Amino acid sequence: MDRRQFLHSAAAATALGALPPVFAAGAVKVGVMIPQSGPGGLFGPSCKACAELAAETVNARGGLLGQKIELLFADAGLAPAEAAQAALKLWKGSGAAAVIGMHDSAVRGALVNLFKGQVPYFYTPVYEGGECARGTYINGETPQQQLQPVIPWIAAERKPKKWYLIGNDYIWGRNTNAAAKGYIEKTGAQVVGDEYLPFTVDNFDASLARIRDSGADAVLVSLVGGSSVGFHKAFASFGLAEKALRLGTLIEENTLAGIGLANAKNLYSSAGYFANITTPAATAFADAYAKRFGPQAPALNGLAESTYEGFLMLEAVAKKAGALSVAKMDAASEGVSYSGPRGAVTMKSRHVEQDVYVADVGDKGFRIVKTFSRVSSGQTCQAA
Amino acid sequence: MRAPRGRSLWPAAALAAALVALRFVGNDFLAYQVALFLIYGIATQGVALCWGRLGFLPLGHALFFGLGAYIAGGTAKAGVAQPLWWMALPLALLLPALLAWMVARLVFARRMRSGPYFSLITLAMTMLGFLAAQQWSGLTGGFNGMGDIPEPPGLERFSTLYWLVAAAAVASTATLGVLVGRPLGVLWRAIAQNEERLQLFGYATDRIKANAYALSAFLAAGAGALFATHQGIVTPQAMSFVLATEFVIWAAVGGKASPLGALLGAVIVGYASAELRDHFATWEVFVGLLFIAVVRFLPEGLSGLAGMKALRAARPGLAPVPAPPTRAPEQAPALVYDDVRSSQGGVRILDGLSFRLEGPGIRAVIGPNGAGKTSAFNVLTGHLPVTAGRIIAGGRDVTGQAAWRVARLGVGRKLQVPSVFAELTVRENLCVALWAGRLHAPAALHDSPHAWHTPLLDEMLGCFPELAASLEVPAGRLSQGHRQALEFVMTVLPEPHLLLLDEPCAGLSPAETHQMIQVIQRAVQRLNAAALLIEHDLAAVAALQGEVYVFHQGRMLAQGSLQAMQADPAVRAVYAGARK
Amino acid sequence: MDGGTLLHALNLVYELATLALTTLGLAVVFGLLGVMNMAHGEFVMIGAYSVVAVQQWGLPTIAAFPLAIAVCAALGWVVERWLIRPLYRRPFDTLLATWALAMLMRKVVEAIWGKGFRNVEDALTVAVPIGSTSYPAYRLGLIALAIMLLAALFFWYRRSSAGLRVRAMTGNPMLAQALGIDTQRLASRTFVVGVVLAGTAGVMLAPLIRVEPGIGVDYLLDAFFVLVVGGLGTLGGFAGGVALIGGSQALVSSIAGQTSGYAVVLIISILFLWLKPNGIFSRR
Repeated sequence: MDRRQFLHSAAAATALGALPPVFAAGAVKVGVMIPQSGPGGLFGPSCKACAELAAETVNARGGLLGQKIELLFADAGLAPAEAAQAALKLWKGSGAAAVIGMHDSAVRGALVNLFKGQVPYFYTPVYEGGECARGTYINGETPQQQLQPVIPWIAAERKPKKWYLIGNDYIWGRNTNAAAKGYIEKTGAQVVGDEYLPFTVDNFDASLARIRDSGADAVLVSLVGGSSVGFHKAFASFGLAEKALRLGTLIEENTLAGIGLANAKNLYSSAGYFANITTPAATAFADAYAKRFGPQAPALNGLAESTYEGFLMLEAVAKKAGALSVAKMDAASEGVSYSGPRGAVTMKSRHVEQDVYVADVGDKGFRIVKTFSRVSSGQTCQAA
Repeated sequence: MRAPRGRSLWPAAALAAALVALRFVGNDFLAYQVALFLIYGIATQGVALCWGRLGFLPLGHALFFGLGAYIAGGTAKAGVAQPLWWMALPLALLLPALLAWMVARLVFARRMRSGPYFSLITLAMTMLGFLAAQQWSGLTGGFNGMGDIPEPPGLERFSTLYWLVAAAAVASTATLGVLVGRPLGVLWRAIAQNEERLQLFGYATDRIKANAYALSAFLAAGAGALFATHQGIVTPQAMSFVLATEFVIWAAVGGKASPLGALLGAVIVGYASAELRDHFATWEVFVGLLFIAVVRFLPEGLSGLAGMKALRAARPGLAPVPAPPTRAPEQAPALVYDDVRSSQGGVRILDGLSFRLEGPGIRAVIGPNGAGKTSAFNVLTGHLPVTAGRIIAGGRDVTGQAAWRVARLGVGRKLQVPSVFAELTVRENLCVALWAGRLHAPAALHDSPHAWHTPLLDEMLGCFPELAASLEVPAGRLSQGHRQALEFVMTVLPEPHLLLLDEPCAGLSPAETHQMIQVIQRAVQRLNAAALLIEHDLAAVAALQGEVYVFHQGRMLAQGSLQAMQADPAVRAVYAGARK
Repeated sequence: MDGGTLLHALNLVYELATLALTTLGLAVVFGLLGVMNMAHGEFVMIGAYSVVAVQQWGLPTIAAFPLAIAVCAALGWVVERWLIRPLYRRPFDTLLATWALAMLMRKVVEAIWGKGFRNVEDALTVAVPIGSTSYPAYRLGLIALAIMLLAALFFWYRRSSAGLRVRAMTGNPMLAQALGIDTQRLASRTFVVGVVLAGTAGVMLAPLIRVEPGIGVDYLLDAFFVLVVGGLGTLGGFAGGVALIGGSQALVSSIAGQTSGYAVVLIISILFLWLKPNGIFSRR
């Protein structure tokens, strides 16, 4: 070995020695399924950013079970069968030991079908409830969480008499609206309409005409992505924003940007996270994100942040279980808790109990108007 | 005529070897992925069959793929609880094929030049299927799809299922490869090249096309069934326009004329796309450019570049066998035109044409240009619509009937511009004519009809030794004179008893004309047929010594012997231009 | 007229206007030149993306018009010269070649802007009160623009000398050539006009639709169905097709939902393709 090589290797050894954490041999591969195309495509960049920040944060603390996290990304915005193939490539092709998924429920169904409980799978976004498959850990908000305290609060604040329910025609849209019906009727109001649209629709005229004709003064919007933006814009352009308030359980910062503040009068959003929550943990996270990705960073939003939460949950459950095996993690997951940007999050029945925020829209964007603490997910899955 | 033996199995054998080798070279995951594209490849072969062989392009083949997938998936899932359901699995292949057959029969029976419209219909149907798959979620699982589809009993998805898929791919390639060489395959190619001509021999080309389309749907549905068990989940994407487009692209790039080419197109291009799509954003742009280049410059795709056209060259082999008798009627049908009128775009083409033709013998039809001579033939064989009047052949009203139906009554027609199957060899052209009226459906799948011969065929080849000398030459390369001879021989081979000959001597030298007239007379005598012969060369007409019909402005002006016609003042006035 | 009915009527007019706008380009290319341009929808898509590009670069939105026109004209000229002209007599090959072109255009746009949908800001989201209801101002503007464009085209085609030459070429290309009309150049220009019309439609629609690389197919199919049902080459056919397809889609959608509306359009088109491919009012 000549002098130059010696110096190089010495430099390398010193550099390694200077790194604070000491990693056990090898890295652990974590597959991350995020939407890079399709209706959820606009969340891709922010989810990727949050996943990278999460991996770096966990690695800085010693990694996952002492091993450095290596991220593998795949597009979950494809149709379910294709997304499953992409996930298969991460799992069997590249050797991912755990999968974090931020995507729609149809893809989740396909992935659950594919994994069959053989690899730990953390599903992070807002969803419709009811997923109890082995090896699946849900961080996302459920309709019960987002609506059960919120609808009565809105009923008290704004006193709507007639609700119109509209959603995309798939399981999340339908389940959300179905859960809402119960809560609405309990407040004494009436449900005057309930309709479902395919994802690709961009002409809402017929639906808007029906909403107007029904005389509704409140609309529950369970639409996703492009449909959501298009609907809200059209809603306002027909002058309906003054006539009826809107409540959505999946209206985050990107969607709001697309809708435009002018079109968002009387619009309420109920979610587990908003970028401008002022708790210390949330502010610290937002600062870290801005610092890491700079001023051109993709806008921080609830869905992307849920990816970050997924990593925190993965870290916590893995630590308690001591290994990345589904059997151990399933047993250990009950009661696992951590503190993150959303506040305190506790896992019960492989779902989470968390805080729920209600925001309306002011001149600068979302304004938090109410916080509900430690809302139960309302799901009961028997431990496998 | 001697005929071939199976060099057509080489592609399938090579494929089998490669697929076996792949299992030992690659790992489980690679085999799993390749199996998926083999499945797509089988459906692509269906598209290539219709497009590359028969000349019509199904733009919506994903419909059958998806139907096969959903039916197979549903049956397999039901079979978990009640094993009897597995017996219903063949329905996954048969129902889509039946649907395809019905649609094709309906569409092709209406009009012959329906190519691009047929493509659009298949596309629209696929989109309907996609909508239905999303809406009827009770049946199909809707957008989420039909999941939890079990593997076939005894096979495991990530290891042994590969062998089933590989076997299916090899079987499909072998079958298609063999079929192309059989008489059915020759007929397919004839349809692609000159469907009109084939109809004039009495072949119901719309039925042949519909059967081929059903076969291609069968392949696609079979692929879909394999897809269901391979993936374990079927979503509406399996029935989508996007997938249908990919089939077409893979068939185009791989090579639509070759079953193996089409399969490899799907495997190579599809697999490469799936792998490289994530790494290079511009990969898909490259595929788009490749597709354009192929469409514009390389109609036979990459396999054509590699010279992998399905082998159909010289074949030694079978001993000559006498052909079965033809199904056409025995006697010359009496032909009656009763005040037939036809007009198009305001122009009166036939204006009350009436005549009666009975008994064997040659009649010549003469008259100035635009008199309606060829049009008189066209209305009989369904090429020109009849607006009034009737045509009766053999006692049956044949007005407006399709060309092939009329041909089956024993009518043979030789067209004004010599029309043969340009890319088939002379031998194959003669075969097609010989098989007319003799070929039953099972025989079309055998090698033996290639070896048929009849005494008339031998006699005709004797009259035209230049044809006998160029049996392996593609007919498109023949000179005008030889092509006229070929078409004439083809016209008489089915042994029709009413011959419509449209300028058989056009473009021939005097010597050739003389020879042609002699052969015509001989053939007509042999067949004891009645013949109508349109001719401008009055010397040839004189040599025929038969009755002469003079047409003018869409009706019969006069009839009689040639001398009588030459003396008739009305006829002279028309020819000299004195009368309009 | 009460508010509800007026709203429905305005919606119907809007739908027909949009359909007419997006079909116009194909009516020129397919109806007059007989070219089955499967990339028609992609030219509309490019028009919509011009607005995205212009807003991305911080230019005023109106700049999208010259951008779209320039891009579509250039692309149209190149395509006509190297892809369409060699394949004029072969409808199948034209169909395939333009399909390949459509795919290429889609993939290029995907490579540049990604597969997800893009948002386009629009001014004029205000609702203008009309009678007893209110309607978005932008849509009213679009309807007005569509009517003006159609009227202008009709008068040009029927009254101008260029229109006369085009009609001569369409009716009898050989005779037109014999009379000294440069049919090649005329065909090239007509094709360019057709695709530019498509691009312009895209620009106008961009604020109202989901701007994604994949939207071309829907416009293509709708336009094709309108032309098949209505018949090629005549204004009556164009209007009839728009009315029948647009009307039935709107009617069924308002009763049974958007999917059923689209399904009905597909079924009507299949029936016409099968039984009456020349449409209701054809040139023949």
